[in-house]
Amino acid sequence: MEDNEILRVVRRKTRLRLTYALITLAFYFAYLFNYLPSGNFLKERLGSSWISGSLAMFAGLIVFFVFLEMLFLFVDSDDDPEADGR
Amino acid sequence: MMIPKRMGASAMTRSMPMSVLSLLFLFLIPGFALAAGPIDGVVQRQPLNPTAIGMFLVFVIITLGISYWASRRTNSSKDFYTAGGGISGLQNGTAIAGDFMSAASFLGITGLIFLGGFDGLVLALGAFSAWPLMLFLLAKRVRNLGSFTFVDVVSQRLDKTPIRIVTVTGTIVVVILYLIAQMVGAGKLIELLFGLPYQAAVILVTCLVLVYVTFGGMLATTWVQIVKAILLIFGATVAAFLVMKESGFSLNVLFEGAVLNHPQGEAILGSGLLFDDPVQIATIMVSMVFGTLGLPHILMRLFTVPNMREARKSVFYASLFMGYFYLMIIILGFGTIYLLYGQPEYFGTDGKLIGGNNMAAIHLASAVGGDLLTGFMSAVSFATILAVVAGLTVSGAAAISHDIYAEVICKGNPNARTEWALTRITTVAIGVIAVILGIMFENENVAFIATMPMVVAASVNFPILFLSLFWPGLTTRGAITGGVVGLVSSVLLIVVGPQVWVSVLGYEQALFPYDYPALFTLPLALGVSWLVSASDRSARGAIDRRNYHDLLLRSEYGSRKNPLEVRL
Repeated sequence: MEDNEILRVVRRKTRLRLTYALITLAFYFAYLFNYLPSGNFLKERLGSSWISGSLAMFAGLIVFFVFLEMLFLFVDSDDDPEADGR
Repeated sequence: MMIPKRMGASAMTRSMPMSVLSLLFLFLIPGFALAAGPIDGVVQRQPLNPTAIGMFLVFVIITLGISYWASRRTNSSKDFYTAGGGISGLQNGTAIAGDFMSAASFLGITGLIFLGGFDGLVLALGAFSAWPLMLFLLAKRVRNLGSFTFVDVVSQRLDKTPIRIVTVTGTIVVVILYLIAQMVGAGKLIELLFGLPYQAAVILVTCLVLVYVTFGGMLATTWVQIVKAILLIFGATVAAFLVMKESGFSLNVLFEGAVLNHPQGEAILGSGLLFDDPVQIATIMVSMVFGTLGLPHILMRLFTVPNMREARKSVFYASLFMGYFYLMIIILGFGTIYLLYGQPEYFGTDGKLIGGNNMAAIHLASAVGGDLLTGFMSAVSFATILAVVAGLTVSGAAAISHDIYAEVICKGNPNARTEWALTRITTVAIGVIAVILGIMFENENVAFIATMPMVVAASVNFPILFLSLFWPGLTTRGAITGGVVGLVSSVLLIVVGPQVWVSVLGYEQALFPYDYPALFTLPLALGVSWLVSASDRSARGAIDRRNYHDLLLRSEYGSRKNPLEVRL
């Protein structure tokens, strides 16, 4: 029973890891839209500014990934502080 | 030589030299700088730059002092491989950023943006995006399971000797190829920036690195990387600030000015000037992100911190620094277009940028910060190479003395003195090899050599590491077969691809159309590992599957006896 409980927790953590990784990969490969006909709209400037959708996407992805990491560290912050990893 | 048709039909793409495309990875590989221009030919040696040399000498004196300090604290193999595990998360994150961000990022990506605007940024995104994945998938589990290298991790649940031999082979291939690329890049870069002869530059880099690593091990390497990261971020920040000052602190003015100055006008704000084949872009993105996750000298840094919590912090800090740096690169890249185009003093009589496109960032430093900033950024570029080569040398030495001698030959019970002596001998041997190969490859087209480490790491190291951590069904037989298939297929496809088949061997058309085959070889390695493991009915296979349960618990909780006591 105890062993099952540990495994349940570990499986939940594994799902969490894979979910965050898949979100990252999905957004990362969304960058390919810049090179597909369906992503031509990204070449347009945003409103009256000289910043294009492509440039905004690049900067936005970096900021989003950092935010995702912070969120992950917060959600997965229930680790044992005494774990020495050995 | 022209860009192959597969690259697309835009006029600019067709007119670009092959070196621009084939050298993509030269600046993706940390420390490799000459991206947006020739590296396989003669570089334009610049006049001796006394300011740059003076600043570099200051850096050398400081880092030699660090090495002396570190040598008094490096007394065992554990100290040598992992700095005794005493580096904090923030320090390690800065060192990772110093190991991974490079002169290449500063010079190469800025040069590509100068040439073609937005397209140059794909490389920055590829370099950055591996870090969130490192945090989510690998940081904690690798730190909890390994001791000194990632090979320790994959050999936990699989048959130790054969899996170590395969993964160490992958490690050594990556380290050696990486070193060749670094040494050739160092020679050319230093010739370009400092006016020093190629051979002198190669020998100088090696001697300094040998002093750092032989005496100070990972501790000295870490601090060299930390100092370099701080200097690079500081220099990029100052340059970006001065660029923004020129544009009245308005991004709109900066981009508008760049559009008005660049011959391609508004097209620089979107994709298509340098690359327009989505499959080629996908191959680059896959190679970059998964290659980084399999780089042995980067993974090794996870063991320099005292616990998994600090390991996770260090990856987060690393991506924070790198994210900031790559955002600065936008300003610097478009700043070169805004401030250099139309200024005749930066262009030769042939109409090209003096020193090639890789010099765009240095010219920008000169335009906004005068000789002082130019000298500073040149010195930082040199320091970058030292930091990266030092990291590679530690990783190579650990692969031989720990993974092969201590774990394979001595079955985990080495003589401590012999291992310690072997570690230092290996370090010196790697230095000698680096000098020999660096000089041998001086006039060779090394673009394919720079490509291979990332592709091999993505096709061999990453699949084995990922499957061993996340798939219960992996067996030794499956991992070895998948690793070997990944290694052979990636090398084979690079050889029959444009970089070797056309550029080196001189054939008219490549047998395989893409430069960076990880998009195909990574799924192949994963698929073969799965197929062979799933059909493996051996007794060893059953043991490998059973071992996963224990490995899974230790990967999350370390060696704690009862995780529920704390967790629940």
